[in-house]
Amino acid sequence: MWEYFKIFSTPEKLRAAGVLGMNARNYYIIGKHNKRSLYPLVDDKVKTKTLADSIDINTPHKIGVIEHQYEVENLLNIVAGHSEFVIKPAHGSQGKGVLVIKHFENNVFTTASNKQLGFNEVYQHVSNILSGLYSLGGQYDTALIEELVHFSDVFQNFSYQGIPDVRVIVYKGYPIMAMMRLATKESDGRANLHQGAVGVGLDLRTGCANNAVSHNMPIAVHPDTGADLMTLKVPMWKEHLMIGAQAYEMTGLGYLGADIVLDKFRGPMMLELNARPGLAIQIANGKGLKEAIKNVDKHCPKNLSAEQRVDYVLNNAK
Amino acid sequence: MKKKFCSVRGVLAICLFFAVIFASLATYYKVVHWGFGLKPHTGTDVWTVDAHISFMPNGEPIEVSLSTPRLGEEYKILSEDVVAKGYEVERNEKNRRIVMKSKPRKEKQNLYYRIMIYDNEDILGKVRDHAAPKVKKPEFDSEQQKGMVDNVWTLVDKDEEEGSTASKIIRLLNAEVPAPEVDAFLPVKKNQQIMADKIIYLLAYRDIAARVVRGVKISEKKRAAPADLMLEVYENGKWMMYNIVTGAVGLPKNFVVFQRGGVSLLDVSGGYHSQVRFSVIQSAVSSFKMAGRRAKYENSGIYDFTIYDLPTLEQNTLKWLMIFPLGILLVVILRNVIGIPTMGTFTPMLVALSLVRTGFLPGLICFSLIIAFGLLIRTLLTRLNLLLVPRISAVVIFVILIMQILTILGYHYDFKIAASAVFFPIIITAWIIERASITWEEEGGRLATKQIINTSLVAILTYCVISSDYIRHIMFAFNEWNLVILIIVMQLGTYTGYRVVELKRFAPLIKEK
Ligand SMILES: Nc1ncnc2c1ncn2[C@@H]1O[C@H](COP(=O)(O)OP(=O)(O)O)[C@@H](O)[C@H]1O
Ligand SMILES: [Mg+2]
Repeated sequence: MWEYFKIFSTPEKLRAAGVLGMNARNYYIIGKHNKRSLYPLVDDKVKTKTLADSIDINTPHKIGVIEHQYEVENLLNIVAGHSEFVIKPAHGSQGKGVLVIKHFENNVFTTASNKQLGFNEVYQHVSNILSGLYSLGGQYDTALIEELVHFSDVFQNFSYQGIPDVRVIVYKGYPIMAMMRLATKESDGRANLHQGAVGVGLDLRTGCANNAVSHNMPIAVHPDTGADLMTLKVPMWKEHLMIGAQAYEMTGLGYLGADIVLDKFRGPMMLELNARPGLAIQIANGKGLKEAIKNVDKHCPKNLSAEQRVDYVLNNAK
Repeated sequence: MKKKFCSVRGVLAICLFFAVIFASLATYYKVVHWGFGLKPHTGTDVWTVDAHISFMPNGEPIEVSLSTPRLGEEYKILSEDVVAKGYEVERNEKNRRIVMKSKPRKEKQNLYYRIMIYDNEDILGKVRDHAAPKVKKPEFDSEQQKGMVDNVWTLVDKDEEEGSTASKIIRLLNAEVPAPEVDAFLPVKKNQQIMADKIIYLLAYRDIAARVVRGVKISEKKRAAPADLMLEVYENGKWMMYNIVTGAVGLPKNFVVFQRGGVSLLDVSGGYHSQVRFSVIQSAVSSFKMAGRRAKYENSGIYDFTIYDLPTLEQNTLKWLMIFPLGILLVVILRNVIGIPTMGTFTPMLVALSLVRTGFLPGLICFSLIIAFGLLIRTLLTRLNLLLVPRISAVVIFVILIMQILTILGYHYDFKIAASAVFFPIIITAWIIERASITWEEEGGRLATKQIINTSLVAILTYCVISSDYIRHIMFAFNEWNLVILIIVMQLGTYTGYRVVELKRFAPLIKEK
């Protein structure tokens, strides 16, 4: 019985470690710095993409958008000429409803997990997206069809099947914390920590791994591939941070999370933005967010350009 | 930045302070002036006492005067009514009499004085009267008479048993085999009135004031009974009441005093054969209803604008609504302070409300059955690849069908568990099924089960709070506390501390250091 309570920490200890709690995040950070009216910019992936394109942030190219049920028939016309693409709900979250087609030929859709789907099944899927099955609150949604990201081989050994992505937390335009999420067998190729994916804390200056957790507990090697997680280093690190920093100007959100994937050919690409990024990143990094937030409030210069901010972080991050 | 937040909290804290004060005062007022009970079901006993006066007119102008109970003392009066057609009714407040006048009449007259009273148990049998009454010493016609009294007193003084002088006398006079001295003192023909007079006479001899009390012993089924008699003796600055026969001290619980002392209970001029008979009807009235009557009797207008003045149907609906804020507070605490994730914010509360209607165990079993069947059917629907809206609609219809079957089965086999099916909110249930099955498909059965269990646990907890009769009564009778709840909820909106689950979630962060 007593042992059980030992897995609980105390508020004092958490405070001392600078851990940002959910209530404090909602109240002080999101409530203060993220205007509600800006949410649609990031909650709607189509809008995000259009915005990103307008200021030349790298994202997977849009192939098409399906907004109404009657347009679903057009699916084949829309994807004509593309042999690989991704269909996802514009208002989705946590990877729900994302259909990755890695090969499309003769009306047969082959998914990332090598399942063969016919037109009917894909039609069904798009209909589900439109009727709001995957969106929060179940309101009507649109389906976004975009190009497939060709994931860089750099992380091949670090991820089981799925695609690793980098999450950068940006506060007032300054990247303050970053992690990489690696899919595992348990997480079923998905990169969500609560589903069993591995979280790797990244050093802000270098993009090198500094800590790794699975199910909130520190680990050293990938549970499935056995790769030494501490050897992980994200290439083109500055470009990663740049995407995060630019997202601040792009959206006006004082606190945001940018999900970035590394494409073999086109480099880092912004996959989505999040106005309420989760707090698990603290666990992956083994440290709380509060210190970095305080640091930005107190010391970081205002009115810098995105590039200047990234340079500042690359030089001064702790 | 921080200052501004502090001031929000500060304002809320001040609001909370005033809300608590307001609620306390309102509660106090309701308890004291409206007689609201702090416990549920304090249906106070209310008696309707009917004094039926009858007499034959003798052709002269009629004047009837009846002594009435004192207001606001032993008993509180809810309403007072005189039925005397064609009579001119007057109240004589000073002497507590009601006077009815009429021109001469012919037929037998029947007049009614009706009061609704409830007892004010606290001061039963202890009437304070600071002015010591004057005692008129008996005067004796002869030495013999005085001797008889002295003889009785000698016996009383010899009595070593417990009790006051008055109770000793009563005991002595009522003894089964009376002492010869007593026999000599008492007349041959005895009745209560005579006994009372004799006791008063004896006490007066020793300067102890005593008087006769007439009233009604209120007990159910009393029909047309004559007034009951009691004796009041002035002891230590208080009038203490005695039962003339048993000598028991104190006002019996169900005794309403109509008249005290030498004045008569009923005076009728212009008539003969007059008598007053009492009938008593007892009824339990809810404290709310009673409060209304009482407020009206006391001419307080506020009551008309409270929920307690509404018809019972509306009151019952409001009784339901009034428990919501507390449930909501609980949800807020569980989510924002504890951090338990549930399916939908208020789903658990709605389930809990249904459980209140169905009863706990039957409801829970029935609910689980519906969810289980629903999930099964939902899995089958998955195979059909239906679109979302029709699919959810189908689930709703299935849920309705399941409920129907359960209800019918429950009725026929007298199986209460199943019969409670109808009380669950159909849409919510269908929605839980839909969400759970999606979670199941996407994130696995473990998470889905966990979510359902979480939701059920929160629902059970909420149920425990809102099903308590006591809490429900408080929230309804003293609904001003909802204001306090509102402000607490708003205060929680500024709670930025860690959630309890975060203490566990972020614990690994600490251990590393
Ligand atoms: N264009 C794409 N190419 C390849 N995989 C993708 C693409 N878009 C999304 N994914 C996969 O789906 C997952 C979730 O996509 P994302 O856009 O982040 O949506 P969500 O808001 O649901 O998290 C990503 O982590 C990635 O594995
Ligand atoms: Mg994502």
